[in-house]
Amino acid sequence: MACSPPPATPRSGRAPGGGKSYAGRSRRSLGVELTNIGITPGQLTGLRAPTSRGFPKSRNITEHVDPEQIALLVKNEWKLSYVTPLYQFRHVQLKSYSKQLSAFIVSEKQQGIAVEIGLETNFKVVFSVVLGLAETEDDAETVFIQIHSKPPFAGDGDVPKIIWSGWLTCVGGNPDYLRSLPSGFVCLPLFCASGSESLTSLVKLWFERTFDCSFGTLNLNSTYLQWLASMWTGCHHVSSIRYLKLVWNLPAQPPLDISYTVHPQDAWDLWNSVREQDSTGDTIGINEVERFMKGLESHFFRHFRIYLSAGMLTKVSTAFGSAHCDGKIKVCTLLQPGIFNIS
Amino acid sequence: MSLLRPFSKLPELNMANVLLVGNDDTFQHVLADAIVKQENNVNVNVRLARTLPLPAENEDSRPRIDLVVLIVNLRSELSLSSTETSLKHLDTGFFLGKVCFLVTGARCTSVPHERLASLRKIAVSLHCPLLFTEDQTAKGISAAAGRVLNILRVSAGLVPLATGLGLSTLIRCSLPPDLDCQD
Repeated sequence: MACSPPPATPRSGRAPGGGKSYAGRSRRSLGVELTNIGITPGQLTGLRAPTSRGFPKSRNITEHVDPEQIALLVKNEWKLSYVTPLYQFRHVQLKSYSKQLSAFIVSEKQQGIAVEIGLETNFKVVFSVVLGLAETEDDAETVFIQIHSKPPFAGDGDVPKIIWSGWLTCVGGNPDYLRSLPSGFVCLPLFCASGSESLTSLVKLWFERTFDCSFGTLNLNSTYLQWLASMWTGCHHVSSIRYLKLVWNLPAQPPLDISYTVHPQDAWDLWNSVREQDSTGDTIGINEVERFMKGLESHFFRHFRIYLSAGMLTKVSTAFGSAHCDGKIKVCTLLQPGIFNIS
Repeated sequence: MSLLRPFSKLPELNMANVLLVGNDDTFQHVLADAIVKQENNVNVNVRLARTLPLPAENEDSRPRIDLVVLIVNLRSELSLSSTETSLKHLDTGFFLGKVCFLVTGARCTSVPHERLASLRKIAVSLHCPLLFTEDQTAKGISAAAGRVLNILRVSAGLVPLATGLGLSTLIRCSLPPDLDCQD
């Protein structure tokens, strides 16, 4: 289904809060004043979602980063994981890490096999640094890992194939958090992997044993996807998004997947109509994101009588890239470094 | 706007009426069956509604509602927003121990945290209990039915020396100190 919304002002049940960044709270206004009885503010990162974000700076990344390395980052679909800070990780020891990891993979593959027959054991691991991706001086430099393998019956002239690649990165991390880490820890919180699941788990296992860290799955919930859709649309004037495609999953019998493609100009017009007048242009508030999504959803409802908000937003894609709620992303151009600001 | 009132009708002997309000039809029906099957001593009457207000034409035949259970499926934004609108059609008397929230889907990892946080804040501001339940397994549903029944027995006045208001002050949702409350 494809349709495009008119640049109408979407319905919004919220009175303009005088520019106050209440966001997550005031949208749940019931006409009941929320009483804060005996509450002390605390620290629980999971519940402190950002209520406004800076507009992604369209810095020209090709000036900082080697184009060959960019080509490596953009062509794959990456499965995301989060990583706790690495202990005693040094960027200068990448060569020895390459040897250790390849030895580890070989030994794990050989486990329980008495006689080796045609097993691919000639793994070659290459660690490299992608310089220039870091935005601030607190960010650790990105580490890129590739695993090459030669098929067992390959001739001498055959070039080893890349069978797995992955990278650990930190772009625009929270400076307060990064500075609060004890010395000896390197924070590379985002791990992207592309390749067979077994190799991914072996690499994770090696990292966990060597650097005393822990990996966990990173899902992108619908709020993150809504942020992405809005921020990408907001970049349309810099570089054309070509299309805005959103996929919802509705809990019907049988489950219904709805793919909703919006013409970029219509998305841009809608986005402009929901921007707050007093916003300075370089920050986006959560209420603007909500109004943008409400506008798209109410347009869909007018045509098909389906409440999209009853389901879950599972995928967002534009010409810049795509993101899936399972934690899979694909980057098509590196114009938008903003998408890495997940930590 | 017709308000649903808790004390406008007389109670019946050995009778408890619960109203389940929610968008998720299948879960509502399964839960209703589980509630009716679990209770043997009292006549439990389960009534279902998608949203409040209830239609005015059945007003006369409707028994007195002893407990309103608002079911919120965190997987959908619509479920939360329709619960918010439903709340406005409840008389204030209900909030003295005759309303509780039942949350499903809280363990789903792709659910935004803000939904649960805002629901918690609603429950705190209305002094209502917040029950978490698993809607995918039979065990979870029977556990949910048991918990709803426990509250229902008290709020219907079937438990000697216990009142809905008294129970609700004990089990109502309170904000944990680590929930960020700064505006």
